[in-house]
Amino acid sequence: MDNSGLFWSIVLWMIVWGAVGGVVTPRVYLRKDLATSDAKLAGAFVGAAGGPFGLVPLWHWAPVLRGRWTLWPAVAAVGLLVVAFDLGDPSNLCVTSGAFVASQLTNGLIMGTIYGLMALGLTLIFSILRVVSFAHGEFYMIGGMVVYYTTAVWLPGAPPLLAVAVACAVTFAIGAVFERLFLRPMYSGGVERPIEYAILVTFGLAFFLQYTVQALAGASPVKAHRFFDFPRLRLPGAHDPWLLKSSAANLTLFDTVSISNPRFTAALISIATLLALLYFLYRTWPGKALRAVSQDQQAAAVAGIDPDRMNMLAFALGGMLAGLSGATLVQAFSWLPQVGMLPALRSFVIVVLGGLGSLPGAFLGGLIVGLVEAAGTGCIPDPQRAASYIPAYGMIILTLTLLLKPTGLFGRAE
Amino acid sequence: MKERLLGMLGIAAGVAIAFSASGALAAKCPIKIGGMAPLSAPGAVTGGEAMRDAMTIAADEINAKGGLLGCQVKLVVVDTEGLPERGAAVMQKLIDQDNVAAVGGGYHSSVGIASEQVAHEKGVPVVFAETWNDQITASKLPEIFRIAPLSSEASAVYSKFAATVPGVKKVVIVTENTDYGIPAAQETAAGLKKAGIGSVTFSVDIGTQDFSGIIQRVKAEHPDMIITLTTGEASLNFEEQAAENGTGPGDLPFFCDQIGLESKLFWTNVPDGNYCFLSRVGLPPAHYTAVSKSFLKRYVARTGKRVPESYAFEAYDSIMIIAKAIADAGSTDHGAIISALEHISYDGALGTITFPYGRNNPPAANGKEDKWWHQFPEPAITVVQYQKKGQDSTNAPVVYPPKYKTGDAVFVNQ
Repeated sequence: MDNSGLFWSIVLWMIVWGAVGGVVTPRVYLRKDLATSDAKLAGAFVGAAGGPFGLVPLWHWAPVLRGRWTLWPAVAAVGLLVVAFDLGDPSNLCVTSGAFVASQLTNGLIMGTIYGLMALGLTLIFSILRVVSFAHGEFYMIGGMVVYYTTAVWLPGAPPLLAVAVACAVTFAIGAVFERLFLRPMYSGGVERPIEYAILVTFGLAFFLQYTVQALAGASPVKAHRFFDFPRLRLPGAHDPWLLKSSAANLTLFDTVSISNPRFTAALISIATLLALLYFLYRTWPGKALRAVSQDQQAAAVAGIDPDRMNMLAFALGGMLAGLSGATLVQAFSWLPQVGMLPALRSFVIVVLGGLGSLPGAFLGGLIVGLVEAAGTGCIPDPQRAASYIPAYGMIILTLTLLLKPTGLFGRAE
Repeated sequence: MKERLLGMLGIAAGVAIAFSASGALAAKCPIKIGGMAPLSAPGAVTGGEAMRDAMTIAADEINAKGGLLGCQVKLVVVDTEGLPERGAAVMQKLIDQDNVAAVGGGYHSSVGIASEQVAHEKGVPVVFAETWNDQITASKLPEIFRIAPLSSEASAVYSKFAATVPGVKKVVIVTENTDYGIPAAQETAAGLKKAGIGSVTFSVDIGTQDFSGIIQRVKAEHPDMIITLTTGEASLNFEEQAAENGTGPGDLPFFCDQIGLESKLFWTNVPDGNYCFLSRVGLPPAHYTAVSKSFLKRYVARTGKRVPESYAFEAYDSIMIIAKAIADAGSTDHGAIISALEHISYDGALGTITFPYGRNNPPAANGKEDKWWHQFPEPAITVVQYQKKGQDSTNAPVVYPPKYKTGDAVFVNQ
């Protein structure tokens, strides 16, 4: 970094004033008898973005902290960080090359979409059952394994989308059976300490699934073939394909943004699934029933909704969403029985960031995590450290979320 | 009377000694030899399983020939998980609980460095099969022997080969944050610099799946060649994702990890990996010894693979050389085995293995660096290249060094 002193000075200034804002703002609001639920987060962002010049007016006028009081200071804080980076490392690729930034951000959005889908499953389970499923990564793994075995071993040459459908059915079935056998005792009074029980039993499921698959399939990495190859295109012309250039495995837009085929396909399927899920939740009776149970289980029961069936549906659907994520990514990554560990960890970060039980929060959280990981990997000056810190980016987000807004961006206080 | 009593006491003592001696001899059977291998993530499981199979073949072969010192040999395989703390723990277990005579195997350098200290404290001989870090032998521990190549020698092959590739001025090295990857990258970079070739190194954590961010940075460097020093599944992920992004083996000279020598695994996970260069430790097929051929036959029959990997050859030889040392020593005493190893000449699958430098002939006294202590000085390292999609690595031409060359390299960017 050319001017590391300047960069770190600005970052330190942001951290100090962010901390001051996060600590003092709730106290100011409490003293003024105002709602303090968003005071910590808003105070931190205003402090980080504006320092004392932002905090003093905030404390003086103490406005009602609606969403824009968090959003715009957050944008300003990010902007200040970007400016600090520009000044601190002007020769960095992220500063000098718009094409590079565009590629990284596109990658981040694509992967964030897929992460978000997996996290949606986890938050759906929590919103209905109030259970954190520690077997979520294993559903992801099984989804991928089923697609591989369907297309390469059991029915070679089978249409990939059929294999994806099979993976969805298998993971849905596993989730349904597991919920019926092991989680239902939690609600029927058969278990003394339901929270601890749920943690242990989902951990047990995780180990069982992982080692069963390892015993059956072995530990060698496998990979499904690309679902389809891109056609070879050169637009607007073969001699100058500035708009779009595609090969079997890759697509390049505007000579700038490079997108690999498997990720593009996975992102498309994720978006289609998200839209289908939204339709299911908002336009179908079972979906509305699920949402009713997530809001108030007892009231839903009084209204005639069977909570046991909704619990089973939620766990099965949540597992299926993780399985679907795996089913789409098995063409992008080498697949092992242990492949689900990192994505599961990432899902927990996303769910905490977005808010436990919040579906839009999970999706937005996925996008944020995807972008942060892409930005970090692309912009950290030292190439020997950039990718090594990938797991840390999620942990930093998790820590900040727990400090500033423990309920997450869209979470509800219990 | 007195003489008769003394005589009877003497006979009784003699009988007691004979029984106790035979009891002691019976207690030493079976002779246990430890085998270390990574059999679960984040270790390189594919490598570990290959080594386990190879070591088991060695143990079975020894027993089929009547065992050692009148005893059957029992191979005790332990899972290091590729983690140094786990490696130290399993070495402790092998020594304290299993009472092994010696230990063979070993894949990850970080495990080697951690576990050799434990072996040294207990005075137990170890023959490392696939741990490359120079420090493992440079530490000059009396118990430690190695038949794998030195990392610095292997890196020299990369840099010397890169110097023969036309038009290479800049190389990107992608390595892993391990005791193997970091020094290997440094040594390779130093060798490239000597050859007048610049380099940039990116490092990732072991087991990384998503390389999209790093690949964009690699592309932004506009390299003339890429060298992969990541191992196991991470290397497969990187190689295929690089290919999907237009910067793979089909786009520029690209050195893949040796796990790619397992052809079926490689083509399943890296379908766009044609024209990859790979380094192979051990004799090329045309130079196989009778032992190499015999092992190959057994290994193929046991595993269904088309050819043993280099680490399989090494693992096999590590157990066989321990067996020979025990036979030469006529004892399972650790000190005697160490002494036997120092004087050994073993015709194995890797060729004729000796350890010319040690206590009796220090490296420094011969103008050699400490890293040559108890080091097999001449493991053959060749470079092969896949030149046809789906090709078996045994049919891939050896393109370097000239001593073993069987065909010309194809440089895709020429």
